[in-house]
Amino acid sequence: MTKRSILIAAALAAAFALLGYESSRFWAYLIYAVAISAIGAMSLNLLIGFCGQITFAQGALIGVGAYAAGNLGNAGWGGFSLIGAGVCGALCSALIGLPALRLRGLYFAISTLAAQFILSYLFKILQPLTNGVSGLVVKPLVLFGRSVASDQEYAVIAITILFLTWLFLARLAQTDVGRAFLVVRESELVARGMGIDVSRTKMKAFLLSGFFAGLCGGLLAFTSRLANPEAFEIGLSVDQTAMIIVGGLGSLSGSIVGAIFVTLLPEAIQRIGELMPSADLVSAFREMAFGGLIILFLLLEPRGLVSLARRLRSRWGGSRSSAEPQVARPGGALANDVEPVLKGRKA
Amino acid sequence: MKSRLIGAVIAGTLALAAPAKAEITVCAWGTITGPDALVNGMTYGTRDYLEYLNQSKGGVAGNKIRVLMLDGRYKLDEELKIYRRCADQEQAVVINGWSTGASKALRDQIQEDGIPFISESFASEVLDPQKYPYTFIAGPTYEQQMIIALRDLVAKGGKKVVLMYSDNEYGRGPVNVVRHSGIIEKLGLEVADLVEYRYDAQDVTAQMLRIKSKNPDLVYVQGSTPQLLVLLRDAAKAGLPARLFVSNLYNISPAIPEQLGAAAEGFRAIQTYSFYGSDIPAMKEIAAYGAKNEIEKKDIYFIKGWLKGKVIAAAIEKVINDNKGQVPTDIKAFRKSVREAMEGLKDFDNGGITPPFTYADHQGSVQARVAEIKNGQYVPVGSWINAR
Repeated sequence: MTKRSILIAAALAAAFALLGYESSRFWAYLIYAVAISAIGAMSLNLLIGFCGQITFAQGALIGVGAYAAGNLGNAGWGGFSLIGAGVCGALCSALIGLPALRLRGLYFAISTLAAQFILSYLFKILQPLTNGVSGLVVKPLVLFGRSVASDQEYAVIAITILFLTWLFLARLAQTDVGRAFLVVRESELVARGMGIDVSRTKMKAFLLSGFFAGLCGGLLAFTSRLANPEAFEIGLSVDQTAMIIVGGLGSLSGSIVGAIFVTLLPEAIQRIGELMPSADLVSAFREMAFGGLIILFLLLEPRGLVSLARRLRSRWGGSRSSAEPQVARPGGALANDVEPVLKGRKA
Repeated sequence: MKSRLIGAVIAGTLALAAPAKAEITVCAWGTITGPDALVNGMTYGTRDYLEYLNQSKGGVAGNKIRVLMLDGRYKLDEELKIYRRCADQEQAVVINGWSTGASKALRDQIQEDGIPFISESFASEVLDPQKYPYTFIAGPTYEQQMIIALRDLVAKGGKKVVLMYSDNEYGRGPVNVVRHSGIIEKLGLEVADLVEYRYDAQDVTAQMLRIKSKNPDLVYVQGSTPQLLVLLRDAAKAGLPARLFVSNLYNISPAIPEQLGAAAEGFRAIQTYSFYGSDIPAMKEIAAYGAKNEIEKKDIYFIKGWLKGKVIAAAIEKVINDNKGQVPTDIKAFRKSVREAMEGLKDFDNGGITPPFTYADHQGSVQARVAEIKNGQYVPVGSWINAR
């Protein structure tokens, strides 16, 4: 990460924040929906793409953040409720990560799936904290003594937090901790041989990933004004996983691109489909087109959109974008253009 | 020839001088695809009524209605997005929304935006004309429907009731409200058991055996058609007759007798609107529309949708007439006037879909009766009761 890449990212964030602030509510909604999804996708990419820990509990972790922020916000914590959401997400993520100290690969993934279902169930029965199946109605976020009510303001807040998240994670990727994640991902045996405390490294990944998942949930609660158990079920985990696969595993900018793709593509297909005569057809077409495109990506470009863009650029004589955080790997390669993490899949 | 030419010129000039008719946008979203798509006739019905007016009367007070029907997929984020599109991009004068969750999440926003909003939810939580003056529903609440079933049980001398509900807000919410209201005890009934099931359950045999051991006089189910199909199938397996079960309006679905056959005979549901195909003036309109267009949903939910279309059209027409035949140019003022016109509907004749109603309570008709499946058809088995 160079100064130039930070400046480009800051300029882009400022441009989108301004766009969100000046645009209509619908566009502001789309901007913050993408930004919030991107924060969640980056947190998931940290765990799966960088540290190689496959998890299916992302939806539930976002839910933990949403309920934490909702309760803290309703209790008058203001902006600190978002930090509280992050902390709750981190603690919960650490708990989910405990089995990772003993389990690996698919076995660990299944344990996270169990955690997803347990948390989903807890959201329904922990009445005092979650208001059960009715969902927790959340008051607007209060920042600097002022209630944030408009979609445009939420767009600015979400873009700002997205930028800060990117900055933090991109910087982290260049530290010893970030490099340790990559070594653990590639081979725990090698990591141990290099003197890396694998358990501690994994736990750090879970804590950090959980923090940002909680933050994502907090923003989701304030923008939708309702934390509802049905919103944090396995489907959300699947959506988030789709974002990092489409965008690019092990790539922060890929997470953002994936979030844009997964959030906006159904809307784009919907608008095109509205030109068709039947409403049933429109919806069916949207679902099928979305699913079909995901399959196409997996088949044709498993490294994600970011890799595709890079290849196109190099084919047309362009140079690598310096905005992409370049994560050093052992051997000098980059984390975001390496072979897929998922074992057994050919790139 | 000369006089004809002069006449044509005058007519042409008048036509050009006449104010251009405005297009009015109404937004209706429903679960076009999703878990409760079986009842989405409610959205089709509203769209089709307004299209019927466009085709037969040139719209409302001569102004075409642009109906935008969208798929909320029963997903909160999708519904929130659609709301913003309708309110902001499409400048809809009225919005017809869907789920209880979205109606709750949006209820403050709706009041701030000042947009008349008709929710498909019957949850009492979204109904409060003082607190939420822009939110309307179209019939008795789930709680009122449940109370009608309980009163019916009392009238028949029953004593013990089991309350069965899905493990989501739609299931638990109304059951909790009725239980804590004390009305069950007031009616002299005993709650023999409370039985919860997963909303996507595929087997409830264990729950049915538990109910059988309680020997109730009635099992009230707060659920939807996909769940009732599983419930009644497993009830038959456990030896519980369908006549023991009663549920709300969202279970007057042809799918139940069609798919379950004899196992559905005797099942009862609360009817709040006339059946599709009944001998009412509104059906003549539907038939006229159907002669030129394909009606995709032919059920009681379509009838509910037709009713909402009538309410929306009547309110818009009143506002235009009060504004000397012009569509108000300020959308905020237009929306506010439509809300007031909706609230002001008095003894509203809706073509026999319900008895004439007054909409000041934001509910409209609260008349309901019990309908039973006999020979594969839903048949009314009681007279209309005021749910209030």
